[in-house]
Amino acid sequence: MNIDTVKERAGPREFSPADELPREYREAATRMIEFHANSEIMGAYLERPFIRQAPSIDRKLAFSAKVQDEIGHGQLLYRAAESLGVKTREEMLDDLANGDGKFLNCFHYPMESWVETPMIAFFVDGAAMRRQATLRRTSWEPYAHAMDKVCFEEGFHVKHGEDILKELMSGSKKEQQMTQEAFEEWWPRIIQFFGPTDDKSTHHDFAASVGLKQQSNDDLRNAFLDQYIPKARKYGLEIPDEPRIRERDDGTYAVEEDDLNWDEFFTIAKNEFEPGLGQINGRKTAQEAVDWVRETIENDASAAGGHAPQAAD
Amino acid sequence: MIWEVFRQEKAGEYHTHCGNVHAPDREMAKQFAAVQHGRRKPTNSLWVVPQEEVGEIDGEDVAFGGTTDKSYRWATAYNTTGADAREVVESEDEQATAEKQRGDD
Repeated sequence: MNIDTVKERAGPREFSPADELPREYREAATRMIEFHANSEIMGAYLERPFIRQAPSIDRKLAFSAKVQDEIGHGQLLYRAAESLGVKTREEMLDDLANGDGKFLNCFHYPMESWVETPMIAFFVDGAAMRRQATLRRTSWEPYAHAMDKVCFEEGFHVKHGEDILKELMSGSKKEQQMTQEAFEEWWPRIIQFFGPTDDKSTHHDFAASVGLKQQSNDDLRNAFLDQYIPKARKYGLEIPDEPRIRERDDGTYAVEEDDLNWDEFFTIAKNEFEPGLGQINGRKTAQEAVDWVRETIENDASAAGGHAPQAAD
Repeated sequence: MIWEVFRQEKAGEYHTHCGNVHAPDREMAKQFAAVQHGRRKPTNSLWVVPQEEVGEIDGEDVAFGGTTDKSYRWATAYNTTGADAREVVESEDEQATAEKQRGDD
């Protein structure tokens, strides 16, 4: 199939490993899904310390279930990506460890306090879900299929994150104040989740023309703001003055993009942001520390007759 | 030869086990399955599988989970306020449906 045919046929779940697809399509899809998979893994590592710091047994159980889910989503996505035949799962994981693998801007920032958890678990996951819901109609069928399972589970993550926010914002004055501060720090990063505006987006046009991407950065960002600004206000959070957000006549919102720190965003995109390198290397160290577990499992599996289960099965 | 039969009610749903048929080969098994299992209940498709091809693992081989209360894993366990995003509502509905079906089996 040549690229024109791909563009002509591009529709929801149109292409599968049975199709012979041009390299350009397979590379674009790999880049997109690998980024998504890496983000699941890095998000899980960011949240993992809070299993230990959870303030109650219920929170601990839910948080550990959530982190486990995210790692599982990563595995599903690596599988969807490797079925394109461009990169193997091992190559993608190696790239993530050595700092070549790209992932979501929000997961390059360290998280220090429990009050920050809803910033990820409610707002970032909410933003991610908004995007993922549209990807159930992506043209690479294995990717869309992975999104079904991810969206099924993600509702719990968002609701649990919202529940933490609700608890904090109906807690002591001090808790409310700390949560507001965390919100002010994370808010611009959360808006940047959706990437630069359409006219500055590097990969949008091609990905959209072959049906990989279903909605533009701008549409997704606007839809997110419309839904989550009222939610934030409902729990008593004040929307920071910057970036400036304009309310349109119809009650929807638009953000002043120039108020956001795009230098930092693009430094992050190149994996050159100092705190982000801390996240990458932190995960690498954790990976190495539990090498013996993987080795034991692998040796045990081959001893059991060579039926080593695939991670995503 | 025994063939296990799996029935799917509507397109897109899972095939669930509904019984078995005795037949000398796959063709006959399909015909018998259609007669015995596809007539009385609404059916979209049937699978026939040679019984010896089915692998089984039970409570004696392995400790299964599913006995602890994991309600914290469901979106429905959290009472939040205000309208939820469309995709969050969708996910919650899918979870509620899955939970209900678990009760039926």
